[in-house]
Amino acid sequence: MARYGMMIDTRKCVGCFACRVACQMKNTLGPKEGFVHFEFLESGTYPDVSSEAIPMQCMHCADAPCEKVCPTGATYINEAGVVLVDANKCIGCKYCMVACPYSVRMIEEISGVVEKCRFCWDDEMGGPNNPSCVATCIADARVFGDLDDPNSDVAVAIAANDAQPIAGDLTEAKIFYVR
Amino acid sequence: MVWGPMIAVYLFVAGAAAGSYLTASLVSFKYPGGVFTRKAGRIIAPILLAIGLLMLMLDAEAGLRNPLRFLGLFANPRSVMTIGTYIISVFMVVALIVAVLELMGKNVPRALDIVGDIGAICLAGYTGFLLGDSLGVPLWHNSVLPPLFIVSALTSGMAIVSLIGAAFDYVEFEKMGVLRPIHIVLAVLEILLIVALLVIASGRGAAGAESVAMLTTGSLAPAFWIGVVGIGLVLPLAIDLFNMRSTKSEASGEALAQTGVVVGGFLLRFVVVSAGVMMVLL
Ligand code: SF4
Repeated sequence: MARYGMMIDTRKCVGCFACRVACQMKNTLGPKEGFVHFEFLESGTYPDVSSEAIPMQCMHCADAPCEKVCPTGATYINEAGVVLVDANKCIGCKYCMVACPYSVRMIEEISGVVEKCRFCWDDEMGGPNNPSCVATCIADARVFGDLDDPNSDVAVAIAANDAQPIAGDLTEAKIFYVR
Repeated sequence: MVWGPMIAVYLFVAGAAAGSYLTASLVSFKYPGGVFTRKAGRIIAPILLAIGLLMLMLDAEAGLRNPLRFLGLFANPRSVMTIGTYIISVFMVVALIVAVLELMGKNVPRALDIVGDIGAICLAGYTGFLLGDSLGVPLWHNSVLPPLFIVSALTSGMAIVSLIGAAFDYVEFEKMGVLRPIHIVLAVLEILLIVALLVIASGRGAAGAESVAMLTTGSLAPAFWIGVVGIGLVLPLAIDLFNMRSTKSEASGEALAQTGVVVGGFLLRFVVVSAGVMMVLL
């Protein structure tokens, strides 16, 4: 089975929010709900300054704090390493939101269920269905695929750029950043 | 922070339920004459916990709409919340039986009472570990919070029970000399633990420092300094020490001290929950 992951190149990201909107459309989220959010980092002192847009979403941690704390087992990691939420089991206790160190979980307003990025996992397909953030990115800042296949686009790109998870080995995250 | 005042209420009443139960046990063991105090503790414990569980359910919206999902709370033993569910289930059953026996004027078997005591200690302890499993919140993710919440659970429960017991039978209550030194020791311990919490959190990056600033100089400072420290710790300690020196204590002073402990106990949970700041990992 594959082990899915992503690489995000913040040097290419222009902070246009296209990924966030595409994700909202695909997952029928409200305008204020989103699985992707942005952090903006400014550094340097005038006149030597730079800014960075960092898209954040579920990192699909192999050692996922959200999965550990979920009392009902609604949050689980599937055979392809994708962290998913079984909405029919979620009671909305928000423990996962408190536990996730990346603050990438949100409450669905209508149901009270806590949701997050699922790498566009499609149960019927038994795999990710063309993740919309990757497909829509105007700058080609995102690469997605099987981390275990050394010839996949994502594995090659991570190796070539020495991409790293945003918080090192904190949770064995599967989104790798180039910065 | 996603967890708000309802969770603070829950953490407080769950801890106070444990503290009440333990106080009643101590009284029944050491002071057979302290009938009202013992009854108060045993009857109020399951009531407090029930209020807490109601808060939890009201806060968990998806479950509120599909109540059967709450059965799932038993499913993941690696979750502190699930472990808490086991503890609550056992403790609640024992506490209810004990309360009913007490109401019927029957004796509570010692073995049953001890099971309840163990349950109560676990209950008070787990409320501290619940917040601790949040990697990204320095104010919560440390080893000081569990003992702090345990100590505060004991003092809060003891104060509630004392308040009721003393109201019904002050003469008898005054004979329970051991409660006062216990409270003094716990209150001093609590002050030390609060200092330790602030020191540790402030050394844990920007989020920890922000939490400490909120508590000591920011929006939560009045609740922290006046409520938790002043009314909840310093005032009751002062009254305790004063009463220790004189041979006879004043009922009104006693009531003021105990009320202060209860108010401070709740505000401690409130400010700790409210001051939780998630670090930004960039
Ligand atoms: S990033 Fe957060 S929500 Fe995603 S797996 Fe890790 S802890 Fe869970």
